Amino acid sequence: MKKQVLALALAGVMAAGLAGCGGSSTSSTAASGSTKEASSTAGGSGKSLRLVNGKIEVDAQLKELAAKYKEETGVDVQIESMGGGVDIQGTLKGYYQADNMPDIFVNGGATDFANWEGKLADMSDQAWVKDTDAAYTDADGKVIGFPYTTEAIGLAYNADVLEKAGVDPKSITGPDSMKKAFETIDAKKDELGLTAVIGYCAEATNLYWSTGNHLFGVYEDGGLKRDDSTYYDMLSKDGSIDKDRFGKFADMVALFNQYSDPAILVSGTYDQQILNFASGKYAFVTQGSWIGATMTSDDKEAYDAAGDFKVGMVPYAFEEGQDTILTNSPSWWAVFQNDNTEEAKKFLQWCSEDKGQDILVNKAGFVSPFKSCTYVASDPFAQTITDYTKAEKTSSWHWLGNKEGLAQNALGVVFQDFAAGNIPDAETFASTIEQVSKQYYAS
Amino acid sequence: MKANTVASKALSIAVMAASLILLFAALALDFTGSGFKGRGALLVVGMIGFFVGLYLFPTPKNHRKIVYIIFLFPLLFTFAVTVIIPLVLGIGYSFTDWTGVAITKNVGLANYSTMFHDPAFLYSILITFIFVVLNMVLINLVGFLLALLCTSAIKATGFFRAAYFLPNLIGGIVLGYIWQFVFNNVLTKMTNTSASILSQSKPALIAIVVVYLWQYGGYIMLIYITGLTQIPGDVLEAAAIDGANARQTLFQIKIPMIASTITICTFLTLTSAFKQFDVNMSLTNGAGSVPNFMGSYLSNGTQMLALNIYNTAIAKNSYAVGQAKAVLFFIILAVVSLIQVRVSNSKEVEL
Repeated sequence: MKKQVLALALAGVMAAGLAGCGGSSTSSTAASGSTKEASSTAGGSGKSLRLVNGKIEVDAQLKELAAKYKEETGVDVQIESMGGGVDIQGTLKGYYQADNMPDIFVNGGATDFANWEGKLADMSDQAWVKDTDAAYTDADGKVIGFPYTTEAIGLAYNADVLEKAGVDPKSITGPDSMKKAFETIDAKKDELGLTAVIGYCAEATNLYWSTGNHLFGVYEDGGLKRDDSTYYDMLSKDGSIDKDRFGKFADMVALFNQYSDPAILVSGTYDQQILNFASGKYAFVTQGSWIGATMTSDDKEAYDAAGDFKVGMVPYAFEEGQDTILTNSPSWWAVFQNDNTEEAKKFLQWCSEDKGQDILVNKAGFVSPFKSCTYVASDPFAQTITDYTKAEKTSSWHWLGNKEGLAQNALGVVFQDFAAGNIPDAETFASTIEQVSKQYYAS
Repeated sequence: MKANTVASKALSIAVMAASLILLFAALALDFTGSGFKGRGALLVVGMIGFFVGLYLFPTPKNHRKIVYIIFLFPLLFTFAVTVIIPLVLGIGYSFTDWTGVAITKNVGLANYSTMFHDPAFLYSILITFIFVVLNMVLINLVGFLLALLCTSAIKATGFFRAAYFLPNLIGGIVLGYIWQFVFNNVLTKMTNTSASILSQSKPALIAIVVVYLWQYGGYIMLIYITGLTQIPGDVLEAAAIDGANARQTLFQIKIPMIASTITICTFLTLTSAFKQFDVNMSLTNGAGSVPNFMGSYLSNGTQMLALNIYNTAIAKNSYAVGQAKAVLFFIILAVVSLIQVRVSNSKEVEL
């Protein structure tokens, strides 16, 4: 009898343990669904949204935006920032599996949007749609992506240095004039206080996106009209490269290799690259307009010390006469279909209006894609983008639609190899890129 | 007495039935997406109730078995949920075109044929095996030597033990980033070169081996120390009296005496090296060029098997192929481990 009592007691303990596990698991699943309730008691109004942001450099500014929105409507918006090489789509898929999807999240382009087919809210009826040309529309004509900024890819330069060196940025119209400008600056390197002519970094582990996406994107779209996707279509078909065009592009990359700061060329980091440019140590840098935000926030001290020099962009003119920079919305915010969809749409609408734009443009330095917006960002590159846009000297970019992982798993390393000298010349570089890209599209 | 049994049998069945109804009701609520908050409690009450009913079932002959089952259930349940079900699901996914979000069709063995025609994957398998062999030998050697050092009569052995073990307390990802900094910034400054060794495949692989050795050597050392200190003193004393020198003591006494520790350590290093992921990911993320492997230029020169699987699924967005690779990975690991344990066991018996 005693034994039986003991057994029963033990069974009871075990059952309690089980109940404990069960209980905790229920509460944790409930937690993701009911963050609404939890935070509403704190906030007071009863709504909470979660936004996954892909631009970690504006994390603080977006939190400010969220605070402002909470102040006005009582709706709590949680900003979850990812970036700097984090695979956002992969993380989101994990969230999806765990039933922990954010209400608004970032999507980079066709491949990203295709992942969520049928799961995103249709925003065609929203007021902001009429106010912009940059909304993301799916194949059926439904608006599923909210544009929040405009970015540009071009060869960024330090205007003060160029002026001192006596190089007119407008004179750079093709490979020969670019080479000449580099040579001129290189000769005066010491008196200008430069470490190198150009800050080009081809490191493949963390910076594959700079070379494999952005620079390669210049090959795809540089100098073309906005609706021209010849080379992107060619690539999408089976990974083919136009030999003639890429050959010239490869020559430009070779030029960058030659004149880049050797300290960052093969094993540098984004931080070093931007810090050095902001400190006035390079005349050019191979990054796009987004570095403006880094220069005026993280690298503010160095940038101030270097005299807050003017910046600008010249086209990556690897063929004579290419006079456009690449601009596009780098990514879009999509709304996941769930109970919070309506709230999320309201938030985005608010973002497109005056108060939202005030923070997004004036604080986060976004170049507004909305026509009604009157703010001009204080971002160093905002004026450049506006100028090129007004002169209609912009190309679109299509690299967002490249096969997923192309830069990370294939192209980035080839750029690094070329920079490190493992690939001897531009021709081999071009043929290797073609081989690798074909192989990647085939697998 | 008879009536009593019938009554308790009825009670037991009634409790079990009621609990099952609760259980299925909770599951049904869950699958239909109901927002009812009590469904978790319902599920747990149903589960517990079922076992209470089972326990009350009047069968003197099988009562003990029922108790065993009840006590084993939590473990089996957890094992099933975390290991068995994912394994079965994973094998299932490997025959479909799963994208991580949706499945549209069954593709048969296409994923398996894709992966065996992918030179990058075959290369990953190759370097993983090289890495495993290198690591197994080096870590055991270094771990054992450190253990000998730390059990010898030198001063401050406690300090050395702690110092050697410390790297193991840092997570692999963090460790990878620290060493990345060391290789990319410190080492390049010291040798005055611009390109770090991480930018070339072969040196980068060696770098991973070194970092992993640095991380894992101390841990293995600790196990060897435990083995060495458990050698009975009288055996060593007898050896000393018989005139055995240090080398003889080491090879004739100490090593045979810790054969079982060696088994454990080789097993540990083997499997953990196979599963190597975190250091690999944070140190090089698989980048590195291989000019010519089976006729193609590879850009994943330092990508080991686990990272290759992860990248296939996540970065390349082909979850199904990644899953197929994971199944192969599972088979390789299972076979290698079984062989290894068998070989080591037979050796122990001889001694």
